[in-house]
Amino acid sequence: MKRTVPLMIVMVGGILMMLQYFIPHQISQTVFAYYTDWTPIIVAFALVLGVGSLTRIHSHKIRRKAKNWQYSYAVLIPLFGMPILAHLWPESISGGMDSPSIFHFIFMHIQVPIQATMFSLLAFYIASAAFRAFRAKSALATVLLLAAVVVMLGQVPIGELLGRWLPETGLWILRYPNLAAKRAIMLGVGFGILATSLKIIFGVERNWLGGAGK
Amino acid sequence: MRKNWIVVPALMILLLLPALSVAQSVDEILTPAAEVQLEQPDPGLDVPGTITVLDRKNDAGDLLVVSFEQPLYTDGIFAYNVYRRVAGESDAEAWNLVEIIPADEPPEFIDGYDPEYPINSGVLYEYRIASVNIDGEEFFGPVFEAGTVSVGEIYHTGKTRVLIAGGLFIFLIFYYFAKAQRGAKMYLRPIAGIEAIDEAIGRATEMGKPILYVPGLSSIADVATIASLTILGRVAKKIAVYQTPLIVPNRDPIVFTVAEEVVKQAYLEAGRPDAYDPDSVFFLTTSQFAFVAGVNGMMMREKPATNFYLGMFWAESLLLAETGSLSGAIQIAGTDAVTQLPFFITTCDYTLIGEELYAASAYLGQEPKQIGALKGQDACKGIIMGFITVALIFGIIDVVANTHILDWLRDLVTSPIME
Amino acid sequence: MSAVNIWEKMLNIDRRWIFLGIGVVSIVPFFINFGMPVRTTREVESIYDYVDELGSDNAIFISFDFAPGTSAENMPMAVAVMRHAFYNDIPVFMTANYPLHHGMMLAAMEYVFNPTTEGFYEDVDFEDWKDLREAGVTGKYELIEAWENQGNQLPEGALGWVFEGRDYAALGYAPVFNLVILGMTVSIETQYPVDAHGNSTGEMPMLQEHKSLREVDMALTSSGSGACVWWVTYAREKMGLPIAFGLTAVMATDYFPYLQAGQVIGQMGGLRGAAEYEVLLTENGITPSTDKAFRGMDVQSAAHILIILLIIMGNIAFFAGGFHKKTLLKGGR
Repeated sequence: MKRTVPLMIVMVGGILMMLQYFIPHQISQTVFAYYTDWTPIIVAFALVLGVGSLTRIHSHKIRRKAKNWQYSYAVLIPLFGMPILAHLWPESISGGMDSPSIFHFIFMHIQVPIQATMFSLLAFYIASAAFRAFRAKSALATVLLLAAVVVMLGQVPIGELLGRWLPETGLWILRYPNLAAKRAIMLGVGFGILATSLKIIFGVERNWLGGAGK
Repeated sequence: MRKNWIVVPALMILLLLPALSVAQSVDEILTPAAEVQLEQPDPGLDVPGTITVLDRKNDAGDLLVVSFEQPLYTDGIFAYNVYRRVAGESDAEAWNLVEIIPADEPPEFIDGYDPEYPINSGVLYEYRIASVNIDGEEFFGPVFEAGTVSVGEIYHTGKTRVLIAGGLFIFLIFYYFAKAQRGAKMYLRPIAGIEAIDEAIGRATEMGKPILYVPGLSSIADVATIASLTILGRVAKKIAVYQTPLIVPNRDPIVFTVAEEVVKQAYLEAGRPDAYDPDSVFFLTTSQFAFVAGVNGMMMREKPATNFYLGMFWAESLLLAETGSLSGAIQIAGTDAVTQLPFFITTCDYTLIGEELYAASAYLGQEPKQIGALKGQDACKGIIMGFITVALIFGIIDVVANTHILDWLRDLVTSPIME
Repeated sequence: MSAVNIWEKMLNIDRRWIFLGIGVVSIVPFFINFGMPVRTTREVESIYDYVDELGSDNAIFISFDFAPGTSAENMPMAVAVMRHAFYNDIPVFMTANYPLHHGMMLAAMEYVFNPTTEGFYEDVDFEDWKDLREAGVTGKYELIEAWENQGNQLPEGALGWVFEGRDYAALGYAPVFNLVILGMTVSIETQYPVDAHGNSTGEMPMLQEHKSLREVDMALTSSGSGACVWWVTYAREKMGLPIAFGLTAVMATDYFPYLQAGQVIGQMGGLRGAAEYEVLLTENGITPSTDKAFRGMDVQSAAHILIILLIIMGNIAFFAGGFHKKTLLKGGR
């Protein structure tokens, strides 16, 4: 029973959505609208579960004085602190995002720089990964290496100074050979999605409901 | 909408035309028609003629196609105001202005898009149209009752090709399902990344270190996430047997709840419900880079022996995988995000490319139906490859013989992008 | 130390040296401005040309679909198109697909309306021109005239007035954004009864003129994630809204198929794409000078050169050390 009901919901929902695509009638539109109204509600409830999980795990850690338990405070304090701040000084309905609030200050001067820092790490990691990966070990690897160098130079103004052909060749690589390869992978992915969806709708694949098949 | 930008030059031309004709009339003999036009006093603008209303096909019964005859004399007309009300109402207030059509645009529009004045299925409406001059004065034409009501269709005729293609692909997958169930032997190409999973779990067990499993950063609506969760179930079952610690951080709260159930059930099926640690699966944050910071921190502190990154990833892929390689873990990645594949390939020990991620569950489970689905996928790809080959040949023929058979093929098999 | 050892050392160079090198080449160009020329590509020109054709009767969406992490790339794109739209008096709807992205939308407005920004626009709050609105003065040009007749003067250096509700509507974040896009194909107001500042959208002239996405001419999604595809799926495919992509450099290659299939009108890829738009704006006199993205291109040039040098160095060591004869080598761990 515990698994039959969810499987039935998936099957009925999946088939309904498939049929809905082909039926423009008002009834079909109403069903679809009903589904779209439900989604945000479910997401909102799931967020409560998520925050609950995070709070539970970190309060456990603090209580048990587990390894690195101090960091748990760094999670819990902002987790609850930011919403409280947003509502203590709500400059507007948007939850205090406007300039004078403390919330806005923390957002712009702590969260934005921290996140930008995380993303900018990519530049360092790409350099290190490129150094290790681009070796002319074989003919194919050499082609890859040359393509990478041309595209990299073509993307920046200095490539332009080295010669017009560089950015043009770079763009050509992006527009044609790159796209051809991507399309091939995307087609495979498309059919993978189709098959996986069918397996889920018809209950062949049940792992995602918990448990390893059968 | 781009309604009126062309009106300004058009209006200028319209205003210039009478002046020009007056200037020319000094030398020229007026034609009778022009004479009538000039001699007309100005009682008002000419008004549009018959209004034709048709039901729009393939809709929910909420659209009507309205067209009208333009007046004979369009001089001075700036735009047409189209009014609609339910047929039979006598109240003048019941008229709603549903569309303004600039004089230079075709006298036709689809009614029902305005959210303020929707069209209801099965309701009979009547229309009247006014010619409007530059000062906004309206000169109304007669009222016409719509000859039809809007009806919703049961089937969208424009989607037949999608239905045929979708039906064919679904049939192929089911055909191979059935074939596999009947016991047909099917060959599966070995995939190194999947074969390495057991080895990677074993390594963690030997080292007594945890295994990190990131089920992607997307929502449950992403099929890659579901594929990842099915693999998580199988991996967790093996982990449960060896009693190796497992860490599953989640970015999406719904994925978290599902992942938690999957792992719990896997431990139960492995006969080790006691070994399940409720803190092993947890929600971290919905913020992309905060999630990366959190997971990277775990990698550096807990030093997991094996990292799995399976599912949907974006810019964080390299940040995760490079930190993992720095911490010395064996890494197995799999994603259908084509852009992130190079990053995983350069930094991970094994990478499942695109559809291999979807195939992994079948490989791990070795159930006939799952393998049948894989074969079905291959058959679908065969058809697409056939089409590409034919299109290539047609394309060459087009170039050599200056024909247009590739366009013919394209029209035959593709549907317009818009509904 | 044998020669082989030197090559081996070079191959297994501590990655922290590489990090240091990238750090140096990223910082230096900020102090020494090279100002290398940026040539525009057709992918960006097509967006520029499309926006340039529009006017005050049209409207566009700028969707802030990026988090602070990718704002270095995504923000200049959104800002450039916003400034282009303001210059042409095109009303701009601004949305965000995530709470964090909402903050990015506000940051972009703050930048464009800030008097310290070269070529800023003077913002007039929705409440401030309430009397004119209630008097029925809602057309852009008559509004400017009436506003200035009330004794308001355009500050020095400002490129023009922008009236909230007439020239822009900061709609902001709404949950489950893909469904919000879908809903906006029918009505924008039902999805956003109030904007980010609590103003009633129903009272805004631009929403009265453009009630749904059907009455909008373009949507730019400046995106750091796959959310950009939602605009194609729900707005382009459903009702043919022209979509323009602003993507991070990493994502750019992934979305070329949409461009070739004609599902998007153009694409700005990474900092380079944003810099190209800035160059187009400056060349056509829309902004007095290029902005942050153009400056960032020097850094990118230097970083790319360093990476290429590293790759060359790695390959020299690989061959000179004779490692190409061996089957496997794992360096740099």
